[in-house]
Amino acid sequence: MAHLADAKALLDNRGHYTGQTFHGVNPLLLVEKIIRERIFESLYWKEQAFGLNAATLLDRAVELTYIGGQYSNQRPTPFLCLTFKLLQLQPSREIILVYLNDPDFKYLRALAAFYIRLTWSAVDIYRTLEPLMGDYRKLKVRGMGGWRMTYVDEFVDELLTKERVCDIALPHIKTRAMLEDADELEPRESLLGSEVESEGESDVEEDKGANSGDE
Amino acid sequence: WDDDEDDGEGLDDTDDLDPAAERAAWKLRELVRVKREREELEKIEKEREEIERRRAMDPELRKQEDMEYVKRQHEEKMENRGKMG
Repeated sequence: MAHLADAKALLDNRGHYTGQTFHGVNPLLLVEKIIRERIFESLYWKEQAFGLNAATLLDRAVELTYIGGQYSNQRPTPFLCLTFKLLQLQPSREIILVYLNDPDFKYLRALAAFYIRLTWSAVDIYRTLEPLMGDYRKLKVRGMGGWRMTYVDEFVDELLTKERVCDIALPHIKTRAMLEDADELEPRESLLGSEVESEGESDVEEDKGANSGDE
Repeated sequence: WDDDEDDGEGLDDTDDLDPAAERAAWKLRELVRVKREREELEKIEKEREEIERRRAMDPELRKQEDMEYVKRQHEEKMENRGKMG
């Protein structure tokens, strides 16, 4: 199906869809209609995302230089276009994990994390994404309001706690506390480990100083 | 597709320019998250305790507490009346 020039063909609005569903719906519907339309109209989609498969998508994903939803005149970012492409391609879990665990390309990792948050089950999301909280590499974000800087750990935290990330309404999942109560998850161990207990206010102050020096 | 020159307004996403500071900044973020998680847990605990307390209460006392709450609510409403606009 991926070779079709007009990606709209994948979205059968007569209710006929035989592919895999996520959260009980056609995965493409996770992106709302107006944004879908903008993706189809965008030059990036037409030029760069045409006819990609799970392997060639990598070539595009490693070229990403920022994340985000829409920018300037409500144009979708390449990040959003590739996310949508992934939703069409629906690569296997193994492939997604290879994307996620690639050590060199942080934007590829962000893309995989976003896709996982959109399509996997709650328990798998927490188990797979939480270990990334220790990754503090920088990410550029482009939004309607311009540019800002974030970090992989912060992006993952947003994925786990916010309702809307990169202009996509994330599927509703149970909170961590609910899953812990149901014994489906163990309590999260912070990557700071034992440092958390022993650290006092003075250390926090120190960190703040170091932080401001960084900017 | 890439017709705009704007590539990030001087934002630099190069890592490991200053590893110590970057790690320190991360540590601070992680601490804030841990704190937030703990506060959320405390809130849930508190709510549960409150529910337990109410369940264990004598029905008469519970009713009395409710009436006081309603009365207070009513008073506040009367106080605020006419103040807006």
